[in-house]
Amino acid sequence: MENKFNESWAAYTRGTHRIGRICTVVTLIMLVGAPFLMGTYLGALPDLGAVARAFLSVGLVWTVSSVVEFLIYTPMLGAGGGYLAFITGNLINMKIPCAVNARDIVGAKTGTPENEIISTLSIATSSLVTILVLALGVLLLTPLQPILQSEALQPAFSNVVPALFGAMAYKYYRNHMNIALAPLVLMSLLFILMPKLIESTSMMIIPSGALAIGIAWLLYRKQKGGN
Amino acid sequence: MSILTQLNAPPIYLICGGIIAFVAVLCVIFLIRAWRAGVALGMDKGAMKRAVTSSATFSLLPSVGILLGVIALSGSLGIPWPWLRLSVIGALHYETQVAQAAAEQVGMGTLSAARMTPGSFATIALLMSICIMWGMILSVFFNKKYTQKLTVSKEKAGGGFGDLAMTAMFIGLVSAYLGSYVGGFVSGNGLFTFTGDWTPIAVAAVSALVMAGFVYLAEKKQKAWVESFSVAGSMIVGMAAAVVIGLLMK
Repeated sequence: MENKFNESWAAYTRGTHRIGRICTVVTLIMLVGAPFLMGTYLGALPDLGAVARAFLSVGLVWTVSSVVEFLIYTPMLGAGGGYLAFITGNLINMKIPCAVNARDIVGAKTGTPENEIISTLSIATSSLVTILVLALGVLLLTPLQPILQSEALQPAFSNVVPALFGAMAYKYYRNHMNIALAPLVLMSLLFILMPKLIESTSMMIIPSGALAIGIAWLLYRKQKGGN
Repeated sequence: MSILTQLNAPPIYLICGGIIAFVAVLCVIFLIRAWRAGVALGMDKGAMKRAVTSSATFSLLPSVGILLGVIALSGSLGIPWPWLRLSVIGALHYETQVAQAAAEQVGMGTLSAARMTPGSFATIALLMSICIMWGMILSVFFNKKYTQKLTVSKEKAGGGFGDLAMTAMFIGLVSAYLGSYVGGFVSGNGLFTFTGDWTPIAVAAVSALVMAGFVYLAEKKQKAWVESFSVAGSMIVGMAAAVVIGLLMK
């Protein structure tokens, strides 16, 4: 019975990597090919020299950021969720909190088959909802535009991320205040003393996360030592 | 024919819509495979349904926020290309920044339809694609090895440090953002001036309070079903608070 389960799980995982890799490569080719295709239709191809210069000025920062994102978020997302999330984007402001929330609701543990399943279900659903909302939005752009761009509603849409992280903070801080306090205080102090860093908040996740993991490790060792 | 008419032409919609459709199909394939594997694994179907429902409600509001990004970029890049970028791979802060950098390199100075040409559009579009593709490339080469190293046996699950480490990492992520809101208010307009925007702090606080209410209902009143809507519900009230603050500040 156990052998059968292991075989079927191994087959699922192999399939996930095969489909994930093939589809990621196909998506990459389409995304890089689209500007050439559109350029051909429009009668002007991309200026590769300008692309190279712009890449050196802004792209390198995003390359480093992508490597960091891959290393940090893949363990949270699992194999299937990882492939999908890196294809569909909007990681920090949607996919990561979404997968973490779903995992938390179900009570799946990191690195287990259950976590892999829940994470994949969560990222796939989230991506489909975004695709659907944007498709409907584009279809109804003319009637929706004045509502969505109305002055009164702008503060709401400018504060989607604070609303998201406020809710998530309560969920995660309440049982782990001993882990959360130091990074929260340290990050607040850093941003107060060096407000320029606010523009690089996504990079500041690294020291903040490292500190939280360090504290968690100390608490874990202490707990293990006590048992 | 104006540049925006050209950028909103049916063939451009067809190219971008085709890629979006491909990714949508891919999501459906992953969804069905994961569901079937979960059933084969003996997972509770109710739990899997809750994961799907909570993820759907969770994603609604941020998706509307992303739609605003499409509207914002459509004024200079047309509708189909921002629609593709923000449906599939991009993130709003990234797309705007890279599009602006590319516009400067092609001599436009600033991103606007008035100065856009077919050539500059194709160049900007290519740069937007190249700059953010590294996560996908790393996935192709390293996802398998990396995730295999992280996989734990059933016996070890929950007993090791991995689960706590992931929770701690997420706490670090949330702390960085909350800290940035505090820093923005205290020193956003100069060190210790306390004149920066306090709306994000208020919104996060309201959202956290509403979440506390949901948690109370789920844990103390045994209404577990609210969990699927708790994040979306908290966000709606938090964002509504931002609207109220905006009206009061006028």
